[in-house]
Amino acid sequence: MLLTAEARDPAARGRLTGTLLAFAILWPLLQTAEVRPAALFEAGNLKVIGNFLGGFLPPETGREFLGYLAQATLETLAIATAGMALAILLAVPLGYLASAAGREQATLNPLTRSLLTILRGIPELVWALLFVRVFGLGPAAGVLALGLTYGGMLAKVYAEILESVDATPANALRRSGARRPLAILYGLIPQASKELASYTVYRWECAIRASVVMGFVGAGGLGQLMDQAMKMLNGGEAASILLTFMALVFAADGLSGWLRRAIETPPASRRSPFGWRSAGVLTIVLTAIVASFRLLEIGFGALFSGEALTSIGEFVAGFFPPDVSPEWLSKVAKGIWETLAISVIGTLLAAVTGLLLALPKWRLPFSLLLNTLRSVPELVWATITALAVGLGPFAGVLALALHTTGVLGRLYAEALDNAPPAPGQSLRLSGAPGGLAFLYGTLPGAAPQLVAYTLYRWEMNIRMAAILGFVGAGGLGQLLYFELSLFHHAQASTVIIAMLVLSITVDQASAWLRQRMR
Amino acid sequence: MSFALDGVGLTHANGFTALDSISLRAKKGECIALIGPSGAGKTSLLSVLGTALAATTGQARVLDAGLAEMAGSSLKTLRSRIGTVHQAPPIPARQRVVTAVLAGKLGQWPAWKSLASLLYPLDVAGARAALARVDLADKLFARCDQLSGGQLQRVGIARVLYQQPDLLLADEPVSALDPALALATVRLLVAEAGRSGATLVASLHAVDLALSCFPRIVGIKAGRIAFDLPAKEVSDSLLHELYASEGQALPTLASEPHFAAQPAANDPATRAACC
Repeated sequence: MLLTAEARDPAARGRLTGTLLAFAILWPLLQTAEVRPAALFEAGNLKVIGNFLGGFLPPETGREFLGYLAQATLETLAIATAGMALAILLAVPLGYLASAAGREQATLNPLTRSLLTILRGIPELVWALLFVRVFGLGPAAGVLALGLTYGGMLAKVYAEILESVDATPANALRRSGARRPLAILYGLIPQASKELASYTVYRWECAIRASVVMGFVGAGGLGQLMDQAMKMLNGGEAASILLTFMALVFAADGLSGWLRRAIETPPASRRSPFGWRSAGVLTIVLTAIVASFRLLEIGFGALFSGEALTSIGEFVAGFFPPDVSPEWLSKVAKGIWETLAISVIGTLLAAVTGLLLALPKWRLPFSLLLNTLRSVPELVWATITALAVGLGPFAGVLALALHTTGVLGRLYAEALDNAPPAPGQSLRLSGAPGGLAFLYGTLPGAAPQLVAYTLYRWEMNIRMAAILGFVGAGGLGQLLYFELSLFHHAQASTVIIAMLVLSITVDQASAWLRQRMR
Repeated sequence: MSFALDGVGLTHANGFTALDSISLRAKKGECIALIGPSGAGKTSLLSVLGTALAATTGQARVLDAGLAEMAGSSLKTLRSRIGTVHQAPPIPARQRVVTAVLAGKLGQWPAWKSLASLLYPLDVAGARAALARVDLADKLFARCDQLSGGQLQRVGIARVLYQQPDLLLADEPVSALDPALALATVRLLVAEAGRSGATLVASLHAVDLALSCFPRIVGIKAGRIAFDLPAKEVSDSLLHELYASEGQALPTLASEPHFAAQPAANDPATRAACC
């Protein structure tokens, strides 16, 4: 068939260029990530992982071990709760300072905003690693790390939520003489309270997941137990710990869902809008916070004594100036490229498998699989994949892909469910086979959302890829862990700055891509 | 014989009887308008003819095939010979017009051709010809969300024309269009059916439109056929009796209700930003 100008598709050239360009970018990334599916089936690796997984059954149920497990679980919950309390304490004033809400003249607050960027741009596990050096092994480092990162995230989101609601009530109050805090309390909080509370609950759920892995850098909790079990290749203990992880994450999921639904119910009509349920929840929360701090035995007085402050000062001073020698910079650049490769390939792999798992109509076994994948943190997956394919970036790619498949698969299934059904239905009625009706009718309706989910997830994954190296899965994390254990603080400082720059750049790139795809 | 319904009834799972012993026949190439108050069963009747819903009682034969014993690939083959124009065009907003039109032949093409057409449209000339008949040839490579409601409805019609069905069904095809466009669109449907020798069954809300464009009128009320007459013999009293529940005025083009679908908003940021 001859293609005349009449019959040529004007978009074809652009599509072809786009595809070629994507391959040109993906190929070197694939090389860097050392993707070798064959490694999964090498005899040596199969033996190691086989023995390890074989040890999973039966899970360890010794009385002594269960005691440790219960202790570690409590510690994990306490780290999450205490860390969240610290985060909220930080986030309220910082969010107030950073927000343009209730201001008569808009300012950019460059100081607060850049502080927030630094707080949340550096992954919580890196903070924890640093704090362990200062305050020694133990949960204090984990609590502080969670408090700082989550404080930064909460403050930014609080500020944005306050800016996103209708500003007229607050402006009117200000013009009639109210000060800014009161104008916000009376004019903006009533509109924003539901969203603020719901986001806080949701972050608490995330804090539980995060505190589970704090132990990998020696900051207490279940992660520490897992780290030991993995180092001794004790499959039975690892299985028990994994099951506890899952139970914890599912419970947090359920509780957070219940709390968010409770926030939706309108207040009763009486003098005080707070009833016995609010009072009960408040008491439980306050008790939990106090109990957490007591359980963890964090003496903040000792942490911030004069002696400790001097050693903190010395420690921090060691990071300046960062090492910017050309040799080191080129090594860091290599680390950045590897981290980028791990995040991109891992996310793409997850997007493909996630979509395949989101498709089947009979959901139950698949949503069970997806939830299991999702409830095991990336770092834990990385310790397992490192056994399966050996240390290196490929282990990181697999770990990222496994966890992200769980997250994306669930979101994809939801998006496909919500896509308009009419186009696919009408194609089936005109005789199209089911698969084609899906490709022509349903998928185009859901595609923008699938792409948006994937890009958001990529933003998260680049931060994760930066720390997977802590357990030997390549990238910037490996570099940082290595240099810190040698007390090369100037070099470590460069790596941390690189992580910060990378996460900021990826945020911008992903926002730009989302804008373009709209 | 294009289709033959004998005592067809349709009762939904919740017990509501949408159709009650309907008997209706059409010869090949006939053009029939279904009229009647809303909720009378026009859409249900079209759904039975289009094999979307199965009749719970009675015999239904469409294009010389008994619907009851249809399944699997023979049902797909039958469906590929039935084209439907919907009230709201069932086309994804971000799809290109050319792809949306080519989708009409998914039931007839081999799978490789359908899959390849997602990457590169394999019958640009055919899609262009179908679009030319609805005056939209210049929008061939536009994206559907760049079109107006009326244009999108015509893309839906172009898809059905491209499908070249033997039975053409239209469920309130013009209720989202302005009166002038509605008249032109119905005339186009009748003319195209006549050109290809297809049978056309259209449900219409506007009585004047039905009477002026279709030779045969079927009035439906409460799931039954109220009358089945040539357009010339449909009297005013018959019509007033048909629409008795909807007040004095007969629904006409000028009084067409206008619908606009609102897409639901969904914020992906909060759902994906998980730890």
